[in-house]
Amino acid sequence: MSPFDSLSLKVHKDAVAGWVLSFQAHPRSKSDLGNGQFYGFHGSRSSQFPSKDNAIFIQNGSHLASTYCALAILKIVGYNLSNIDSASMLTSMRSLQQSDGSFMPIHIGAERDLRFLYCAAAICFMLNNWNGMDREKAKEYILNCQSYDGGFGLTPGSESHGGAAYCAIASLRLMGFIGDDCLSNASALSSKANIQSLLDWSLQRQVADGGIQGRPNKASDTCYAFWIGATMGTLGANKFIDERGLRSFLLTCQSEYGGFGKFPKELPDLYHSYYGLAAFSILGEAGLKPLCLELGLTEGAATGL
Amino acid sequence: MHGRPRTAPKPEDAAASAAKAQKLRALQSQFLSYHHDRIYTKEALDTSAKLLEINPEYYTAWNYRKLAVEHNVKESESSPESVKSIFDEELKVVENALRQNFKSYGAWHHRKWVLSKGHSSLDHELRLLDRFQKADPRNFHAWNYRRFVAALLGRSVEDELQYTEDLIGNNFSNYSAWHNRSMLLSEILKKKEQESYSQDTISKEYEFVLNALYTDPDDQSGWFYHHWLLDQTSKAKAPLLVSSWPVPGSELVVSGNVSLGDHPLSSFSKVTVALERFPVVLYFNQTVEGVNSSTVAIQCTFVQNEDVTWKPFSPQNSWASKVWVGYLDLSGVDHHSSAPHTVEVKLGHHKGIMSSNGLQLSVPFDLSFRVSVKPLETQSSKDEKLVWEEDKFYACEMPIPCLCYDGISVGNKYEPTTSDWQIGTIAEEISQIRNLLAISDSKIGKITLARLLMAHDVMSSPYATKTVHAEEVLGLYSELMKLDPSHSQYYKDERSLVLLQQLLSSGGTLLKHCFYYGGITSSSTHGPICLRLNNQSISRMGAFDKLLWVQMLDLSDNELHSIEVLRASNHWLSTLTRRMCDLATETILVLRLNRVKML
Repeated sequence: MSPFDSLSLKVHKDAVAGWVLSFQAHPRSKSDLGNGQFYGFHGSRSSQFPSKDNAIFIQNGSHLASTYCALAILKIVGYNLSNIDSASMLTSMRSLQQSDGSFMPIHIGAERDLRFLYCAAAICFMLNNWNGMDREKAKEYILNCQSYDGGFGLTPGSESHGGAAYCAIASLRLMGFIGDDCLSNASALSSKANIQSLLDWSLQRQVADGGIQGRPNKASDTCYAFWIGATMGTLGANKFIDERGLRSFLLTCQSEYGGFGKFPKELPDLYHSYYGLAAFSILGEAGLKPLCLELGLTEGAATGL
Repeated sequence: MHGRPRTAPKPEDAAASAAKAQKLRALQSQFLSYHHDRIYTKEALDTSAKLLEINPEYYTAWNYRKLAVEHNVKESESSPESVKSIFDEELKVVENALRQNFKSYGAWHHRKWVLSKGHSSLDHELRLLDRFQKADPRNFHAWNYRRFVAALLGRSVEDELQYTEDLIGNNFSNYSAWHNRSMLLSEILKKKEQESYSQDTISKEYEFVLNALYTDPDDQSGWFYHHWLLDQTSKAKAPLLVSSWPVPGSELVVSGNVSLGDHPLSSFSKVTVALERFPVVLYFNQTVEGVNSSTVAIQCTFVQNEDVTWKPFSPQNSWASKVWVGYLDLSGVDHHSSAPHTVEVKLGHHKGIMSSNGLQLSVPFDLSFRVSVKPLETQSSKDEKLVWEEDKFYACEMPIPCLCYDGISVGNKYEPTTSDWQIGTIAEEISQIRNLLAISDSKIGKITLARLLMAHDVMSSPYATKTVHAEEVLGLYSELMKLDPSHSQYYKDERSLVLLQQLLSSGGTLLKHCFYYGGITSSSTHGPICLRLNNQSISRMGAFDKLLWVQMLDLSDNELHSIEVLRASNHWLSTLTRRMCDLATETILVLRLNRVKML
C-alpha cells in the first residue's frame, strides 16, 4: 500500500509486475488493431481463456477498469510503463468511445457511464499519450452529466453522486481542462460548468457527524471522504472541509484489526481501507505520502520519482 | 455484495464456502466452454442463469445471453409467441439476479437491452419499479430505469410529475424524487411554451417546494430544488461591458524604452521591460467570445484597427473569457513629440460579441482616453523606493475616476432584461424565506436567503451598483459562521466577496477608502491613489472588475489566509501588474500590491 513510507509489508515488486503483465491482451498482428477490439488488460483469469482452435491464443476480454487498475498497480510498484506496448492499447481504445463522448468498458458491450470515461482518461494520462481518446467529446459528455443541483451523475440525467463527481472533475483535470485558478470566475471551465454550484453541493455532503455522504440524506461512508475530498481538492477548495470533524469520523470507521470499514463499527475491507487512508493523506496525516488526487495514487507513484 | 454488513466467519462456514467456491469454478468453466463453442441450448442457458444468480456482475454471462437471444430468436422467426417467451425468460433471469443485488449494473443494463427490443410488456415494468421504490426509494439504477421505461411507454410528463408529487408527499426527503421532478420540469420549460405558461409553472413549483421547506427546514432536498428554481427564474442575462483599463477619460503618460532602430535596449532597461505595446483591457459581466478587431474598433493616430489583436485573458481557453486584452503597438508613435494622442474604443456597434448562452452584446459602448509617450530618462531609471508609513496617507478630495459603466454606454440605451415577473418572484421568495427563518434556524435557509438577496440586487442593476441588501447579507454570513462553525471558512469567503461588492460599488463608500499616498520618494505630484481595504476581515479577493483602475492596494491586516489564496487572487493583480510594468514605473499607471500582513 503505497502511502506507507516504510514497506513493512514485503511486497515483491517484480513478482507483482509480472503477474499484472500476464493479464495483458495482445493483438495477433497489426491488422487486428482495426477489428474493433480493445487490447488492454483482463481483470482476472476468469475472462482470460484460450481459444479452442488455437490453444495459445487467448480470447480478448480486456476491460477499461482492469486496464486502469493494471497500469496504476504497475506505477505503484515502480514499473517503467514505456516497456508496455501502449500504441496498440491506445489505438484500440478509441473504438470504445461512443459518439456522445462516453466510454463503453469492453468491446463486447456493456453499460457506459462516467466511470469508464475516467478510466480512459487515467490510462491516457499514465501513458502520457492522448491518442486513445477524443478529449473534447469526452469533456462534452462530462458537462452533460452535471445535474440541477450542481453535482454530477454517472450519466446525463442521473442523480448527483459523489463517485460521479470525482470521475467528472478528475477526468477534466487529467485531460487538462482544469487549471489552478478553477475557483476564480475568470476560469475557462466556469463558463461551461457551474463550478460554484458543484462546490455548494460538495460542501453540503459533509454532515453533522463529520463524515461525508455520497448523496444527500444518505449515511456518511468512509470512501466518500476520498471521492468528495479529492473533488474539492482538485478544485482548490480543500480549505472548506471541516478537517477535524472528518478526521474524527474516519477514526470511528477504523477497525480494531486495522483497516477501515464502510461505516463506524463495521469490519474492514480493502476498498474502504484504501480510500480511508487516501482521505487521511488528503488531510495531511503525518507519515502518509501526498496524493496525486486525480489519479488516486501517491504523487511519487504518479510521477515515478 | 457492496453495502452488506460483514461478520467474522465461523470454521464450519469456511468449509461450506470452500465447497461453494469449488462448485462455482466448475460451473464457470462449463459456462465458458458453452460460450466458446457458441452453444445456446436450454441447458447451456440454465448454466449461465445459475452463474448470474450467484454473481450478477459477471458481465460475460450477460453478453453470452444476448448472443443466445439473438441466435434463438433467429431460429424461431416464424412464431411470435416463442420470441416473446425468449425475452420473458430474460426478464425472469434479470429479476432473479436483482434479488441478489438490486444495484447490479449488468442486470439493469440487460433489462434495458431486452426492453428496447420491443417484445415485452411495459406495464409490468412500472409495477416492478413500484416494488423497487418501496424497497429503496434512493436506488438510482431503478430511477434511471424508470426514466427509460417512461420514455418507451410515452408516459406524459404530467403523469410522471404526479408520481413524484405522490412520493414527495409521502416523504419530503426523497431526494431522488426531487431530482426526477427537476428533469421533468426541465422538459416542460425547454418546450418554450408561452412565457406566461413557463412563469405559471415555476410559480406553482415555488408553492410546492415551500410546503416541503416548512415541513422540514433542515432537509436539503427542498432547498436544492428551491435553488434550482431560482436559477430558472433568473435566466440568462445579456453580456455587457462592466469595466475596462485604461479608465475612460484618463490621461496617461507612458514612458519607457521604445525600441527605435539604433538605440539598443540594454542601454536603457534597468527597471522596466522595453515598451513595445500598450494593453487595453475589457472586462465583461460574463464569459464572451467574438472579441476581435471587427467587433471592437480602436481609433487613434498611431495604430490601425486591423493590426490590433485581441486575446482572452484566461490561460486555459483560447476563444472565450470574461476579460479580453488588446495590444496597441507603440512603435508607430512619434517619440519626439509629447503631445497626447486620443484613443477611442468602440464596441457593441456590430454584432459578434456573444455569451456562451448565445446572447449578443447589443448595447454600444464608447470609451476614450489619452496617451502621451516619452522616452525613459536616465534619472528615473533609478529604483523607486517605497517607504511604508502610516502617516503618509492623505484623504482624497477629488472625485474618483469613472467607476460605473452605465455611464459609458452610448446614450444610456441599456434596457433591463429582467422582467417584472422575475423581480416580483424573487421578492416574494425573499419574503417567504424570511418568514420561515423567523420560526426556524435553518442554516441552508440562511444561505438561500443570502443568495436571494444578492440575486435581487443583481436583477435591479445589471452593473451591480446597487447593493441595497448587502448589510443584511453580511449579517446572514456572520450568523452562519456562528451557527455552522465547521464551514466558517466558506462563509467568511462568501462574506468577503459581498463586502467587496458593497465597498466598491458606490462612489461615496469608495471615496472613504481612497487616499493619496505621499510615500514614494521620487514622486513629484500628489502621489498615487491608494485603495485601503485594510482590516476588513477579508479572506478572499474578488470584484476584480472594480479594481482595474487601482494604482495601489492596501490589504494589510486582513485574513487572506494562505499563500495559495493570495497567489490565486493575486494572479489577477500580479498579471495585470506585469502587463502594466511593460510601461515605465514613473507613471500613474503603476499597479502594485502593497505589503499584506497576514495574521
